[in-house]
Amino acid sequence: MDYQALKRQYLDLAGQVVAKAARQGALAEAYLTAGEELNIEVRNQEVEALTTARDQGLGLRVIVDHRVGFAFTTDFSPAALELCVEQALANARMATPDEHNCLPARYHGYPQLDLWDPEITTTPLEKKIETTREIERQARAYDPRVKITESCSYSDSRYLVVLANSQGIAAAYHAANCGASTFVVAVENDESQTGFGLAYGLKFKNIDPVKVGREGAAKAVRMLGAKRINTQRAAVVFDPYVATNFLGVIAPALTADAVQKGKSLFRGRVGQQVAAPVINLIDDGRRPDGIASSPFDGEGVPTAHTVLIEKGVLKCFLYNTYTAARDGVSSTGNGARGSFKTTPEVGTTNFYIEAGSRTPEEIIKEIPRGLYVTEVMGMHTANPISGDFSVGATGIWIEKGELTTPVRGVAIAGNILGLLEAVDAVASDLTFFGATGAPTVRIASMTISG
Amino acid sequence: MLLPEEDLQAILQAALQQGGDFAEIFLERRRSTSIGCEEDKIERVTSGLDQGAGIRVIAGENTAYGYSNDLQRESLLATAQLVAGAVKGQPRQREIKFTRPPSRVEFTIKKRPDQVTVAEKVNLVRRANDAARAVDQRITQVTVGYGDVIQEVTIANSDGVLVDDERVRCRLVVNAVASDGRHIQTGYESAGGHQGWELFEQVNPEEQARLAARRAVMMLEARPAPAGKMPVVMAGEAGGTMIHEACGHGLEADLVQKQLSVYAGKKGQQVAADIVTVVDDPTIPGKYGSYRFDDEGTPGQKTVLIENGVLKEYMYDYLAARKEGRRSTGNGRRESYQDRPIPRMTNTYIAPGKDDAGAILRDTKRGLLVKRMGGGQVNTTNGDFVFDVAEGYLIQDGQIGPAVRGATLTGNGPEVLRIIDRVAGDLGFGLGICGKDGQGVPVGDAQPTIRIPELVVGGILDEEADK
Repeated sequence: MDYQALKRQYLDLAGQVVAKAARQGALAEAYLTAGEELNIEVRNQEVEALTTARDQGLGLRVIVDHRVGFAFTTDFSPAALELCVEQALANARMATPDEHNCLPARYHGYPQLDLWDPEITTTPLEKKIETTREIERQARAYDPRVKITESCSYSDSRYLVVLANSQGIAAAYHAANCGASTFVVAVENDESQTGFGLAYGLKFKNIDPVKVGREGAAKAVRMLGAKRINTQRAAVVFDPYVATNFLGVIAPALTADAVQKGKSLFRGRVGQQVAAPVINLIDDGRRPDGIASSPFDGEGVPTAHTVLIEKGVLKCFLYNTYTAARDGVSSTGNGARGSFKTTPEVGTTNFYIEAGSRTPEEIIKEIPRGLYVTEVMGMHTANPISGDFSVGATGIWIEKGELTTPVRGVAIAGNILGLLEAVDAVASDLTFFGATGAPTVRIASMTISG
Repeated sequence: MLLPEEDLQAILQAALQQGGDFAEIFLERRRSTSIGCEEDKIERVTSGLDQGAGIRVIAGENTAYGYSNDLQRESLLATAQLVAGAVKGQPRQREIKFTRPPSRVEFTIKKRPDQVTVAEKVNLVRRANDAARAVDQRITQVTVGYGDVIQEVTIANSDGVLVDDERVRCRLVVNAVASDGRHIQTGYESAGGHQGWELFEQVNPEEQARLAARRAVMMLEARPAPAGKMPVVMAGEAGGTMIHEACGHGLEADLVQKQLSVYAGKKGQQVAADIVTVVDDPTIPGKYGSYRFDDEGTPGQKTVLIENGVLKEYMYDYLAARKEGRRSTGNGRRESYQDRPIPRMTNTYIAPGKDDAGAILRDTKRGLLVKRMGGGQVNTTNGDFVFDVAEGYLIQDGQIGPAVRGATLTGNGPEVLRIIDRVAGDLGFGLGICGKDGQGVPVGDAQPTIRIPELVVGGILDEEADK
């Protein structure tokens, strides 16, 4: 696709839809996306599946007498767009008025970000297939016990985002990202264990098939021979992937939306110590090579670098335009849209715990007895409102500062606030899994149920 | 019909022009409405139109897939050509003659959601909101979500299958938050089905809302769940998350064929206690996982997966079935035109037994009673699963004791199925969205009251609870 040409064409289209709704007395905002995707799946060195796709869609938000209405369509024919405008206006009439409903005004300039790696588009399909095959070869070569490929895939996506509103915003950008992952199974005797490796980012050259393949294999192999343990209290270390899983539970509680609606365990705690002093938590919509980086958010507000927790002290929350109006502050550029099918809510961009200075080995060395957790199951059942969580866990037992035998079938439970306070060390290995990142994190003591 | 027959033929021919054994087109037009209420406000009223087509070509073990939401003939031909170019094979001309397979079951939608005004839907949401808030002063927040979808599909393939279908679903979810100033807890309740507005003839929105609110308030008074191994009684009304995770996923044929399931190669073997029978059935009218045809045009069917403890059958889609030279069980499902079909569950349940639910509880001296399950997850490769207890109680001397919060049950599918020692006759359905390979599809699940003599409860140790 010629994204420059498409940008002009769709800015024009979005402008027309906005004008149509505005003529009927509404504030209006059109958010339009169009893009292409590629996904390659390899198994046993064969391309098992190849998917190519193109899609587009437009979401229209209108505000009439402080009431919000929304409609979306993937059909850009004049009749379908006309119907979309009518439905959005009709839906607004059903909503409850709220004086804080508003649209952002025009901004002077957006951050200049490098979001388009031409190599993602110009690299031939054959080369991408070969990269995927190489990941699988590397995983298999790592250890003969790596016998099954659950999946081994490469994917990329190239897309255009256009935003126009009746307050003067007319902006667009195009971006691309790519990634690769492998899930393999190591088999010994009657036992099977899974492991994964992955890499996602904005640059094709950063996908290292050797690293992805070997990481998946190493994680599977080291779990072979896993045993159950008895219920006890001990130190717990989360590897970066497990730590990012917990960040997913914390994220909603740090949105102004949850705070205003009384659904956040951080409500009323700005300025207070909510986590151990070793924790700095950041949301950065401009981070270089951040997969969620963009010049503006889902409402046309410039993205920002926001420090949420500094040395354990809660500094602020994340805002979109509505929640900011309600608190009388400025939006932090966190008007997040899952797709053109939804209105902008408050959400994170690149969200991470800042790295500490010591290596993971150093912080593990200080543990007399504990569990190094490498995978958790059922994280989506954790309750972001109460903060209560209870998850299945697998990992490796730590004895006298050394990783010893693999452990499976245990559960760890607690409350996320207690967990944040109990962190006593953060390592230097900040790793991103998609848009969420964390280093290795150590918890002084927790219940491990076995 | 979302496209004339001759266009479907031309697109399938184009998809096969570079070779390939099988081509298929899945066209979808999805109209949806959703309403969200929070803080006593109707915050969000959304209408949407999402339409598109997915084209698939299979050659040997390889699949090429492409999708687009431009449904014009020329654009779909271009997509078909793009997909065709991704497979290697011997091109051959093939005549495609369509026949329409009969459905095994007819569903009646009494009142389509597009015949109901948005005002009426908004009113339903308000009724639920008001009812939840009236339950207790400690209810601090209520979120009510209503959603309906009318999904029209046209599915055609080079074997000559042509199916037109319409799936109608309605859903109501209520989330209540309760706070006593010290603790904050939540309660959740949902209802939905492959049904129109008549869903609300059987489901009272106020009653749903009160259930959610009462659960949130009760959780404030609940004590932290104990940790460690103990007997677990799961009530018939608890939903079927456990069976969905403990064995359902492991019986999906794609995972079995890739040796990613602990149930691989075990057909004909005893994999569960002989009082355990497990069934998957999309043909039950009105359930959330019901359909007449799956997303490949195969009629839905009732499949007995485990009968009296013996593994009888796996769940197949077209591709998995073809690999074994057999027929699909009608379990090929996809989230939308953007996704390839894969074997999925529909409505999955443990069949009712002969025991009495009350007697099972009375015969259990101590343990955990699960009255409502939440979400879950499984590692199909080794069978380890986990699920969340949304409402649970301690069992003391065969009686229901105090409520507990924050419990998670973790176990191993085959181990748990083998030790189930009691199965009652009361069957209660739950509903949810099941995720697999990044695709979410509506499912139903159920079980009667059962007892598992020993399961790991992930709570916290007493020393901590006493703090």
